[in-house]
Amino acid sequence: MYGSLDISVGGMVAQRMRMDVISANLANRDTVLDANGEPNPFRRKLAVLRQGDPMGSTPAARELGVHMGDLQEDPAPFRKVYDPTSPFARPEGDPDRGYVYYPNIDPVMEQINAVEAVRAYEANATAAEVTKTMMAQALRLLA
Amino acid sequence: MFIDQVISADSIPTLAAAAKFAAQRHKLLLSNIANITTPGYRTQDVSVKAFQNQLAEAVQRRRDEGPGARLELESTDEVRMGAGTASGMTLTPKPYGTNVLFHDRNDRDFERAMQNLTENAAAFRLATDLLKNRMSILEAAIRERS
Repeated sequence: MYGSLDISVGGMVAQRMRMDVISANLANRDTVLDANGEPNPFRRKLAVLRQGDPMGSTPAARELGVHMGDLQEDPAPFRKVYDPTSPFARPEGDPDRGYVYYPNIDPVMEQINAVEAVRAYEANATAAEVTKTMMAQALRLLA
Repeated sequence: MFIDQVISADSIPTLAAAAKFAAQRHKLLLSNIANITTPGYRTQDVSVKAFQNQLAEAVQRRRDEGPGARLELESTDEVRMGAGTASGMTLTPKPYGTNVLFHDRNDRDFERAMQNLTENAAAFRLATDLLKNRMSILEAAIRERS
């Protein structure tokens, strides 16, 4: 039983971090400028989960848990909107002259991923509940 | 020792083995749920039926050897008995997925994962409740009252 809760908690942490990335994507749906004020649209971020939790405090979690492996950027092309009067429109000589580049984020996809992350989080929370019940039953043997 | 014989003779070692197995398998089932969105992950499990056969054979062997014999489970490739871990039982899971592979190379099956978790928890509960029963019978005998 020792280490069981660690696995579920690691799963909850990973799904929560994935949810953070989804929130960032939705929040930056129309971000055309980077932190320095340059026209450099926000690229969609992808949280990739990986088996095993190096931060786990027990061998069970390190071997059987899950963690957020890395944060990848979606290489898909930016969304283009024709707006030649915009100060951020592509300049003269560019094949996309007059177009403004917007982030490559589809809110529908983000919503779908959010629902999946929430359900996976719930599954881990339920599993943690089951572990707690089993622990209580094992403890009752001694009492 | 008399008390050793009382504890190792009847159903207590059998129930203890069943509870140990359920507790170890619980970790595998948790792992399947934790990795439900991990790309490339395959559902891992051990065969419950194989363990039940393993346990039944051990019980039969103890019965054949007569009074005083201990319950000794033989190791299989999935369930290894003996020292190495605190519980004296190590599970080596295999990919047991029956579902189709999704695009991220994961064969997740949400419903089966939750079903296995619930059933395994129920098996653990059965074993611990029966163990508790045996213990209270022993306790009553020690106190010389019911």
